[in-house]
Amino acid sequence: MGRGLGRGRGRRRGGRGHAVGALPEAIAALSQTLPAGPSPEIFRRAKFDRPEAAPALWQLLFRVLSPPPAAGARASPALGAQVRLVKSALCSQGYPRRVLAQLPEDGSQGSRELLLALAWLLARGPLLEHLLAQTRVWLGDEIPLCQYEALASPGPPAPCQEADGPVDIRHLQWLVGKLRFRWRDLITSQQEQCALLSKIHSYTRGCHSDRSLGHLSVAETELLRDPEGGRQLLQRLESENARLEAALEWRRQELVFWRWMDTVLGSCPPEASPATFLPRDPASGPGELELAARELHGLHEELRAAVEPRRAAWEAKAGGWGPEWSTAQRATQEAVGRDLAALQRAWDQGGAPARPHRPCRLVKRDAGAVEGPGLRAAELTGALRIRESRLETALGRLQTRCRQELARLAGAEPGLIWILPPVAEGPRACPAGGAPALTP
Amino acid sequence: MLPAGCSRRLVAELRDALDACAERQRQLERSLRVSRRLLQTWEPAETPAAEPTPEPETDEEAPPPAGTPSPQDLRELELLTQALEKAVRVRKGVSKAGERHRALSLKSAATSRATTASAPPLASGQAVRGASETKPPRGVQQTTVPARGLPECRLPSVGDRTRMGRGASTTKPRPALRDQQIPPSAAPRAPEAFTLKEKGSLLKLPMAYRKAASQNSRLWAQLSSPQTSDSKDAASVAKTQFLQKMKTTSGWPGSGLAAAEVEAEAGLLRKACSLMRRRMEEVLSTDPADRMQEYHALLTLEGLQVTAGQCLHRLQELRAAVAGQQLGPWPEGRCCRASVPCGGRADPTWSPQLLLYSNPEELQSLAVLGLRVAMLDQQIHLQKVLMADLLPLVGAREPPGPPWLALCRAVHSLLCEGGERFLTILRDEPAD
Repeated sequence: MGRGLGRGRGRRRGGRGHAVGALPEAIAALSQTLPAGPSPEIFRRAKFDRPEAAPALWQLLFRVLSPPPAAGARASPALGAQVRLVKSALCSQGYPRRVLAQLPEDGSQGSRELLLALAWLLARGPLLEHLLAQTRVWLGDEIPLCQYEALASPGPPAPCQEADGPVDIRHLQWLVGKLRFRWRDLITSQQEQCALLSKIHSYTRGCHSDRSLGHLSVAETELLRDPEGGRQLLQRLESENARLEAALEWRRQELVFWRWMDTVLGSCPPEASPATFLPRDPASGPGELELAARELHGLHEELRAAVEPRRAAWEAKAGGWGPEWSTAQRATQEAVGRDLAALQRAWDQGGAPARPHRPCRLVKRDAGAVEGPGLRAAELTGALRIRESRLETALGRLQTRCRQELARLAGAEPGLIWILPPVAEGPRACPAGGAPALTP
Repeated sequence: MLPAGCSRRLVAELRDALDACAERQRQLERSLRVSRRLLQTWEPAETPAAEPTPEPETDEEAPPPAGTPSPQDLRELELLTQALEKAVRVRKGVSKAGERHRALSLKSAATSRATTASAPPLASGQAVRGASETKPPRGVQQTTVPARGLPECRLPSVGDRTRMGRGASTTKPRPALRDQQIPPSAAPRAPEAFTLKEKGSLLKLPMAYRKAASQNSRLWAQLSSPQTSDSKDAASVAKTQFLQKMKTTSGWPGSGLAAAEVEAEAGLLRKACSLMRRRMEEVLSTDPADRMQEYHALLTLEGLQVTAGQCLHRLQELRAAVAGQQLGPWPEGRCCRASVPCGGRADPTWSPQLLLYSNPEELQSLAVLGLRVAMLDQQIHLQKVLMADLLPLVGAREPPGPPWLALCRAVHSLLCEGGERFLTILRDEPAD
């Protein structure tokens, strides 16, 4: 596997300080590890910028840069669309060479540049491991606990639905209601799934060859029920094993590849004059930067409004507090300093979520026998409850802020009475313009 | 009507949220289908020639379709088959040994009138009872139980079904047999209806699968183990050098920031903002009990103000970098955010951990809690997005008059009540 292709052809001359003839193996290993990897011949042609190698590389980069399609999803888009997406994704990640953006959209040229782009992606991070993990065959049962993934990337990019014009706010209300119902459905379905899983786990107790697991998972039971499906699962496992072995082989050989890439880069002509870029399309939505700007400005204002009177009041009281005050003062300053530093650390750490994203395989075990490695559902539940209540509080705070803001805006409108909907603690009403308050 | 830009943004956000939910629901329903099917009675699948199911002698030990045969089982199967055939011949009074396959199913009587004496081989046709038949020997089996040749003399439970079937078949005096496609090489199999509940613990995973699975986890472990060899270090050095060279050969005057990095940092700043805000609200909501606490509160607020100022400064820098158009073409829409991760938020190669639970309620509450947390996350995000766009509209008082009141009411409901409740606005007419 991953060997022998092109042996005797394209060997690098010695003097690289590494095994001669390892380049074909390295490239073959890379080609096998990559999903939809092009043949090693394509790589070699790309070094010489041969046009026939370009489409395969565009498709490879498209596959690498876009989320993998879900089972039975739409067919891959046309080459032109793939080219556009690849260009856009690479540029947004900071690809340093502008030649890429100038390549024609019919995908007919630029194989050397694409080879460089692939190498750039490989050099920046654990690309191969990430790609392998994307299509990993899961044999166990899971429940959704890694929410960030589920919601942050809602699948392949849908075409921008620019056709919609201005909408009535009732349309928004309808969408929000629809969302509520979908969540309710989701929760009910999940509950049913848990009940079924529990049964299957109980019924197959003692069947698994791995003692620590003890019972079969749905996938394993299904392969017993349906031998044809089982064969397919086995095939997927075996091909994944082949890719994993190729990845390990790549690791052993990759140094040769990097040396080779140096020569590829060296054979490129120097960059031409800078190209022009499109300014950012303002209609494409606020984006994180704008949202951050609004929120920070708002916060800063509120802090200023809170600090000024307090500082004034404090200064007014100053004086006559005696020597022990200064030590206390210093202690307070230090305490506050530590406090704020800890707060800053909380977001400085790259925003990594507290919960590990490590996938979990569900295992049912009797309550008495809970020793050994693994997470306990009860502990996770506790941690999640804390998180839930924090989020609920945060949401409540946001809603209260909105209430206050709307009250302020509405308050300027005289002659109206605003009757708020009843809430659990009891009805409130918000008077406007000095009119007497009515309660429902 | 809402302005066009606002409409588009908000509709897009809500549609994203709806799509994420729908995707999750689809996956869940796929899993549910599989699980439900597993808990029903299993139909013995068409087994390949390599794995015929041995004929169980008694009721209780029907092995799964993927079990391995033994020569003795096959011999017994043959013998049993012959015995069955003989029994059928005797019963029917037909001398020719024709019927090797037997299947039961409910069939319309209209097609079963023919009274041929010799039943043709039943590979595809219909076996028909002779006119001399005085009692329907075949019971009628429920369609949920897979139909296979079941000798009625064999098993008491089958006999029960036969009796039941007889009762049901009185309305159809001549139930015909319709044969099923049974590969000629296999003798009629008649495993008991396999349910996971009764016989789940007898299952055994095939060897090929076990080998592949253990190799799989071994390879993943190897892949994710930290590499400390020299070749790894040399490779990292080579990679860094390559990246450096890529940058220098491009002649890029850029600030070195990628659009994706800007977005990521902006996200961090938002997180910082919400953490600071939470602390601020904590401080503001407690009345200081003494001078010391008052001082503490004051210092905290001032410190937060300074930090917020620093964040704003960083924001200005990011904005300048964006405005300077040094970041290259902007990604279309929001599509490219979740592709290749920058810096490994989570190690994708970790082997799965075990998540232990002991009863279904525990599992259910955990799963539901997970979903609730995800839902709240989404709600908070949507709340912020809606606030950013809708509050300014209300403030602008546009359109004036009753439409603005309707807008206020709708915005209040969306932003303050989660869209679930509405307020009422009354005009305070002075009584004349």
